[in-house]
Amino acid sequence: MESRVLRPVLAIYSSIFLLFLYGPMIVLAILSFQSVDGGPQFPIREWSTYWYQHLLGLTETSRVSQLPVGDSLIRSIVLAFMTTVVSTVLGVMSAEAFRIKFKGSGPAFYLIILGMMVPGVLVGLGMALLSNTIGIGRAWWGTSFVLHVVYTYPFAFLVMLAIFNRFDRTVEEAALSLGVSPAQTFRRVTFPIIFPGVLSAMLFSFTLSYDEFSRTLFTAGRDLTLPLSIYGTFSVEIYPNIFAFGVLTTLFSFTLLVVYGLLMKRFTSKAARFKGQEDG
Amino acid sequence: MVHDLELISVGKTYPDGTVAVSDFDLKVEKGEFVAFLGPSGCGKSTTLRMIAGFEDITNGEVMMMGRNVTHVPPEKRPTSMIFQNYALFPHMSVRENVAFGLDVKGMPKAERDTKVDRILDMFDLEQFADRKADKLSGGQRQRIALARGLVVEPEILLLDEPLGALDANLRRIIQNELKLLQRELGITFIFVTHAQSEALGLSDRVVVMSNGVVEQISPPRELYRRPKTPFVADFIGSNTVFEGSPKGAAGNGFGRIETLFGLIEGVGQGNETLAVVPAEAFRITPLDTPGEVRIEGTLSERQLVGAVGHLKVRLSDSREVAIEVSADRPDVRALTLGAPVTLGIDPAAITLIHA
Repeated sequence: MESRVLRPVLAIYSSIFLLFLYGPMIVLAILSFQSVDGGPQFPIREWSTYWYQHLLGLTETSRVSQLPVGDSLIRSIVLAFMTTVVSTVLGVMSAEAFRIKFKGSGPAFYLIILGMMVPGVLVGLGMALLSNTIGIGRAWWGTSFVLHVVYTYPFAFLVMLAIFNRFDRTVEEAALSLGVSPAQTFRRVTFPIIFPGVLSAMLFSFTLSYDEFSRTLFTAGRDLTLPLSIYGTFSVEIYPNIFAFGVLTTLFSFTLLVVYGLLMKRFTSKAARFKGQEDG
Repeated sequence: MVHDLELISVGKTYPDGTVAVSDFDLKVEKGEFVAFLGPSGCGKSTTLRMIAGFEDITNGEVMMMGRNVTHVPPEKRPTSMIFQNYALFPHMSVRENVAFGLDVKGMPKAERDTKVDRILDMFDLEQFADRKADKLSGGQRQRIALARGLVVEPEILLLDEPLGALDANLRRIIQNELKLLQRELGITFIFVTHAQSEALGLSDRVVVMSNGVVEQISPPRELYRRPKTPFVADFIGSNTVFEGSPKGAAGNGFGRIETLFGLIEGVGQGNETLAVVPAEAFRITPLDTPGEVRIEGTLSERQLVGAVGHLKVRLSDSREVAIEVSADRPDVRALTLGAPVTLGIDPAAITLIHA
C-alpha cells in the first residue's frame, strides 16, 4: 500500500539528487565541446573538439594562450604519488599500533585525526609562517608535501583502523604458534589479508593529494601544482579549454578508480579461485 | 624427572587488578592428555594462552622440557595451538595452509612435500588439498587446522575448545579421532573445554577450574567419584550434597558427619562438613548391608518408561532426589505417590568434603 506511493517518490527524489550531484560535471563536459568562437557558456554555437586540440597545442596560434598545465600536472602526480606512499605506510603502521590499547592511545588518536579536521587555509598559512621564521624555502616537494601527508595520513589511518577492526587476530596467533616470526607473520599472513584495505588507503591518499588546494596555496612556493595553476588562469579570463582539461582530469580519476576496482577484483577472485601450490 | 610441561604457581593479574588466574600448579608427563575444564570465564583459556605465549604471565613460571619459557615468545615455544574458529589462512589453499609452517622455516621443497602429503593423507584431506579452506565444512576445516598444527612436530599441542564450533555428530567423530591421534603420536595434549563429556571422555587427567583457581586435578573417574570441593561436586556429574557437622573418624578411611537426616558415613576424615552423594548411589530399598546410610523421604513422582522407572523422592528439607530403578521390581510397582521411602546408600560411594 504505502510502498506504491513511497517508492516512486523516493526514486524520483534520488534521481534529482544524483542529477544535482553530477550536474556541474555534465555541464562542464558539454561546454568543453564548444566551437572556436564560442564562450564558456550556453548556447553551443557549434560542436567541435577545438578546445581539446588547443589544450594539447595542436592548433595554430590563437588569441587565447595555451593552458600552462604541463609541468604542474607532472608535479601534482609526483606529489600525489609521494604522499600516497608515505601516508599509506604510516597509516598501516599506526593502525597496527592501535590494535593494542597503549598508554596515551586516546590523545594520539585525536592528534592524528586533527590533520584532516583543521581548516586547510589555516594550516597552510601556519606552515608558510613557520617556514619563513625558521628559514626553510617553500616548495611543493617540501612544505606542501609535509602538509599533504598530514592531511591524507588520517584518512589512510582510519581506513586501516576499520580493516584491522574486522581482522581475526587468531589467524596471526596460529602463524606464531607454528613457529613463524612476527615479521614473517606480517608479510605472509597479515599483509595479504589486509591488502584490499591498503589499496583503498592508497586511493584515498592519492586523490586527496592530487586535487588539494588550500594547504598547497600558501606552501608551494614558486612552482605551482595543478589545482593552483588552473586557479591562476581563472584570474585572466575563462575559456572552454579549462572545461576540456576538467574532462580529461576526470577521466584520469575514473581510470584510477577502474584500476583500483580491477585490482580489488583480481585480488579477491584470486583469493577465491582454485590455485595450486606456490614455491616459497 | 623432566616434565613436558610444568606450571609453577602461574598467575595472571590484569593491569586494572583483576585476577584472571592464580597459583596454577601442574606437572604434565610426556604423552599425557590433560583437559582444562570449567565454566566460561574460569581462566582455562587464559591459562592455555599463557602456555602458548599469547598472554603475559604475571606470576610464577612455565617450564617446557626443563627449560624456562615464561618469557619466551610464542614462535619460539615447542607448542602449537588449535583454535575454536580454526584460524586457517583465508588466502591460502589447504595444502599451503598445512605447508606454511615448514615453508617459512625454509625446509627443502622435497622434504616439505613428503611431510605435507603424509599428514594430508593421515587426515584424509588429499582430495581437498588444492581447494580454499573457507569452502570446506567445519569438520574438514578443523582437520586442516590439526594437520597444520601437527606437521611442524610440536612437543605440546594446545587445543582451545577445538570442538566447540562443530555440531554434535561431528564433535563425536572428531573427538574419537583426537583420542586415537594422540595415542598414535604420543604428543602431549592440553585441551580446553567447558563440556564435561569431552573432558571426562578424552583426557588422562582433568583440571577443573573456577574463578581463576584450580579446584581439582584428577583422572576422570576419580574426579567423578571423589570430588574434592563443593564446586566440583556441583559441576561434575549429578550429586546431592548434605550439610552437617563433623563427627570424627570411623576407621578404614571413613568418617562421619551429623546431618538433618541423621548420621552419614562416607570416605573422609570425619572433620568435614559436607557429604556428597552421586545420584546413582541411592538405592530405593535398603540393602541391609552393615553401616549402610539411610535417608527417609516420600515418593513425589513416579514414571515407568518401559523397563526403567524414574522416581523422585522428596526429602524432609523438600529437596528431591531422582532415582532410576528397574520397573519390573514388584516393590517399585507397589509404591504409591506420597508413600514413605527409605533410601539406602553404600558409604563407600559417599565422599566427605570441606565446605
